Amino acid sequence: MRYQHFRVVGAVALSLQLSSTIDAHHSFSAQYDSSKPIEMRGTVTKVEWTNPHARVYIDVRDDQGQIANWNFEMASPNILVRNGWKQSTVKIGDQITVNGYLARRGERMAIAGAVADANGKPIFASNPDITR
Amino acid sequence: MRTHPFRAGVIVAGAFVASISAQITVPSTPPPQTRAGGNITAKPPTGPTPRKPNGQPDLTGVWLRRAGIVNIEQLLPKGETLPFLPETLKRMSLLKSQDDPQLRCLPVATPRSEPYPFRFVETPTHIFIVMEAVHGYRQVFMDGRKHPSGDDLQLSWQGHSIGRWEGNTLVVDTIGFNDLTWFDNWGHVHSDKMHVVERFTRVDLGHLNASMLVDDPGAYSRPFTLTYTAELMPNAELMEYICDNEQDAANIDAPADAAIDAAKLLKERYP
Repeated sequence: MRYQHFRVVGAVALSLQLSSTIDAHHSFSAQYDSSKPIEMRGTVTKVEWTNPHARVYIDVRDDQGQIANWNFEMASPNILVRNGWKQSTVKIGDQITVNGYLARRGERMAIAGAVADANGKPIFASNPDITR
Repeated sequence: MRTHPFRAGVIVAGAFVASISAQITVPSTPPPQTRAGGNITAKPPTGPTPRKPNGQPDLTGVWLRRAGIVNIEQLLPKGETLPFLPETLKRMSLLKSQDDPQLRCLPVATPRSEPYPFRFVETPTHIFIVMEAVHGYRQVFMDGRKHPSGDDLQLSWQGHSIGRWEGNTLVVDTIGFNDLTWFDNWGHVHSDKMHVVERFTRVDLGHLNASMLVDDPGAYSRPFTLTYTAELMPNAELMEYICDNEQDAANIDAPADAAIDAAKLLKERYP
């Protein structure tokens, strides 16, 4: 299935380092595929401000107009807050673009490395300092 | 004049409170309103080591260790590797990433750390190391007691810790670990014979040098020392970390990183 706002982006678009470092909770490579970077745009349907990971769910429309809901893993709320986020930074109904990597297992799951708002302004970047 | 027993009790209690308050400095004005939890990119402050009235270093503050979280071997002296016993390699070679106890929200135990801060809380008889990660804490007895022996030593996630000051260094000696924790995400393991001696030295206002001497004859052929420096997070507080939305374990099916390494080492060393 192809998604209108879903494309596999070049590996250079988002470094593995960037994404792996937001997540010291588990092995990155065991859960996510660094050879499958993605960029998806959609409408936020749910935000889970929880540990071990905050999660943002977005509705993404494919080429046929079908909508599917995707589950993006983010850093923990504690790490997001220490990087400048607030619980209200991303809200239901917001249009966002997420860059990340596809999960090896789990349907419509991925990890978010970077999030941008409807105007393309970055509102989240993982912190490469965390696990140096 | 006789002192009434109640009044004597008040005097003793008052002296006790005074002895505690003499050791703890409470700011006269509240700190500035800052971002909850602090700023991960803020540089540690500079200045001399703060000291308690008795001259010992004051370990107060919120500390963050950033190194050796994915793989504890990063904390070994350069060029060294972990001295695995063959049975440890065999055990590790079977581990799956999804078996990581911490992945399943179980405690983070020494020498493991997560990218979350910790705080020392000192009383006359105990030091508590309060860890944000998975809402954990360690209890260090500072009252001169020894480790329990025989059946009185109950194996546990954090083990039994006794501490003492050696000059400017807090020394924490821990035994009685269970064998369930991993050292890191990688999947390095230990046995329940592990004995860890940690040394914490606040070398200046913003830095805490720490070493961990790990002696585990049940899993490693010789003791080894892991070292790191924790940084003081300015204007930071610990945040709540309740692990109530774990979705990872069910979506991982892969060998642990240490399992891949261990299989290779087994082949090389014990063909």
